[in-house]
Amino acid sequence: MFKYRGYTGNILRVDLNRQKIDKIPLAESLAEKYLGGNGFGIRFLWDEVPPEADPLSPVNLLIFATGPLVGTLIPNSGRIEAIAKSPLTNMYGDSNAGGFFGPELKFAGYDMLVFRGRAPQPVYLYIEDELVELRDATHLWGKDTIETEEILRDELKDPDVKVACIGPAGENMVRYACIQVTPQRSLGRSGMGAVMGSKNLKAVAVRGTKGIAIAEPDKFHDLALEFHRRLRANDVYPAVSKYGTPGIVSIMNMIGRFPTKNFQYGAYEWADDINAESLHKKHFVKHLACYACPVACDKLFKIKEGEYRGLACRSVEYETLNGFGANILNRDLASILKANDMADRLGLDVISASRAISFAMELWEKGILSHGEVEGMDLSWGNMETVFKLLNMIAYRQGFGDLLAEGVKRAAEKIGRGAEYYAMHVKGQEIAAQDGRAQQSMGLAHVTSNRGADHLKGFPTIDETGYPAEAERRYGKEYLPDMADPRSIKHKGFLVKDGEDFAAVVDSAGNCKSGGTFVLAEIYWEDMARAIRYATGLEIEVQGLKKIGERIYNLQRCYNVLCGISRKDDTLPRRFLEEPNPSAAAKGLVCRLEPMLEEYYYLRNWDPRTGYPTIKKLEELDLKDAVDRIGREKLIYSREDMKPDRSE
Amino acid sequence: MYLDVNPELCTGCSLCEAFCSFRREKAIWPTKSCISVLKYEREALYIPFTCQQCEKAICAEVCPVQAIKRNAHTRAWEIDANKCMGCKMCVASCPLGGVAFDPHRGRAFKCDLCGGDPECVKVCAPGALKLVKGPEVVLAKRRRVTQNMLHLLQNWGVETHV
Repeated sequence: MFKYRGYTGNILRVDLNRQKIDKIPLAESLAEKYLGGNGFGIRFLWDEVPPEADPLSPVNLLIFATGPLVGTLIPNSGRIEAIAKSPLTNMYGDSNAGGFFGPELKFAGYDMLVFRGRAPQPVYLYIEDELVELRDATHLWGKDTIETEEILRDELKDPDVKVACIGPAGENMVRYACIQVTPQRSLGRSGMGAVMGSKNLKAVAVRGTKGIAIAEPDKFHDLALEFHRRLRANDVYPAVSKYGTPGIVSIMNMIGRFPTKNFQYGAYEWADDINAESLHKKHFVKHLACYACPVACDKLFKIKEGEYRGLACRSVEYETLNGFGANILNRDLASILKANDMADRLGLDVISASRAISFAMELWEKGILSHGEVEGMDLSWGNMETVFKLLNMIAYRQGFGDLLAEGVKRAAEKIGRGAEYYAMHVKGQEIAAQDGRAQQSMGLAHVTSNRGADHLKGFPTIDETGYPAEAERRYGKEYLPDMADPRSIKHKGFLVKDGEDFAAVVDSAGNCKSGGTFVLAEIYWEDMARAIRYATGLEIEVQGLKKIGERIYNLQRCYNVLCGISRKDDTLPRRFLEEPNPSAAAKGLVCRLEPMLEEYYYLRNWDPRTGYPTIKKLEELDLKDAVDRIGREKLIYSREDMKPDRSE
Repeated sequence: MYLDVNPELCTGCSLCEAFCSFRREKAIWPTKSCISVLKYEREALYIPFTCQQCEKAICAEVCPVQAIKRNAHTRAWEIDANKCMGCKMCVASCPLGGVAFDPHRGRAFKCDLCGGDPECVKVCAPGALKLVKGPEVVLAKRRRVTQNMLHLLQNWGVETHV
């Protein structure tokens, strides 16, 4: 039996080239130093995937990792993490989803799945406790994600089987294809679906009947109950629970942080048409939850009349309403739901797909794309017929869709003629619906995220609309009022660094960042440390946990350094730095990135010239192998060797 | 007392299964839970299913060693694990699937309402599970139905004052 509870102690390694499956033990040291989730992921990637590897080649790994809290009593502990070298950014990539796949994997007795190689023909992996088999998936190839899941449930005669699968976008290796997990949750970002497609792996179907043991059952039970009580008593619980992420549409619009027309504006004239209240009034059917979640932020929506009558869909997020709404100047809710359903079925990341389309629309508006290049399509803002057509063309890599399937960075390089200015990405990943001009910390978070533009790594929520009470509780009075002011750059490097370290731990333990840790910020370092300690028996306190978070984040950064990333890549599109936000409370603001970045590098103990971690930091985090691999000559000893420019 | 289940409110989170199994096993073990959320994903329909605490309990009647007895306080049918010989007669005869079998211990198990303070009810955030005495549930349901009828009447233009 594995030394620590909460884990199953088993990893499944699947060599798709040789169709060989090995059950190997989880190393104790891996649990002690990397906890789980993306911690496990980066260690495997670091050890086994050469940084120069093509992410779509058989050399890449596709890792599904759970954590010690996954499948337990802790609120929303149903997360699964997918990790691989990203085909979108060509560096470290991961994504995280809720649902029921992660817990089921643990009930089947596995902490982690590691795929390598490429199957000669389409296959899926079937796991039922000890029974693990690669099976033919030729009949599933070409099917959309919802069909695939339904066929597998029927075929395996098991309504409780949990599935992770790709749609046509993954099969065709669209660089931002996602993996869908039961029921309709997305491992959205970083193109994990393309990696799965490149391996000829259509799906993983898992069923488990075992239990997850806990080190200190009584304490753990009481703590979990306490968490549940605290979440349900939280001030924002009723709103988050009722509306989910769409609830923030109106607020973001008010503070000028609701990207409109490919980030040309920060507010949308017709935001009320696509906000949570309208969505609920017109389409709400039922609240749906991920495993162990009292928040139930997911909803079932139905279109009750009109052209798409009868269409039912879930996972309609703030990002969806922005991406297929304000982002492309569309105020028709039903068509947003339709586009969301299409993206889910095709297996496309909603954020990247909608940004690719808004990018094309802006190029068309500016006259950069000619009529012939877009095959005579009308790419004017808000033209949903074109959007639907493009989604299909992207997923199947047809014509102009093939270019957009590469992501906005690569597409802009191919188009040339100044297109890069309109490609809203960081390090190749399209920027989510978060405007760094209206919330300065968000700009920094996009830049420092290890998977390219992303709001969920640093996840600064404290200053989104001002949470002074929470800022004071977490960090102390001395950080106010600037900490809670979205337009101030003071202390934001600190906020983002703390968020990144904490998020690395949350993702690795297996919790949700939307329900409890960042949004509804109830559960923080001390709580996480207790939960992990009681669940596993690991002797872990806050300091130790912080070190794990930092270790994970630094190793991801080191991997990116080996992939060629340095300070020059830690930047935003010029639009954020030069074009003042014209909207609402953010009017006249640009993102003042540099001083925040200086503070950030300083706190991370990274070299502010190169953006590389210092030797001292890496040694402190027991990452001596990273020092050796990057090369001592490239690294400086400590930040004291390098006086940061603290002029602002 | 018995558990009143309202599938309309169930979000499918399975917390009831997790906590139920934890109380019995000190482990999270859904296949050893007395309550199961049956899922119909295509329709997004989730139905928590457990022992109905029947008035005429066939499980107790068929038990050859009289291991299943009614708790006078909670009115729940409880299995005496020391008496149970694992013959599975109760499992086989319950028409609703209310009794389960634990292959590791060789004993039958079923919902005993946690002695009157059920874990599943405590953690059910949407309130799909309620511990009830009886009549008040029926009245609540009748009231809900009439409420729907009132809406219907209002839609037809009939004036109501409720």
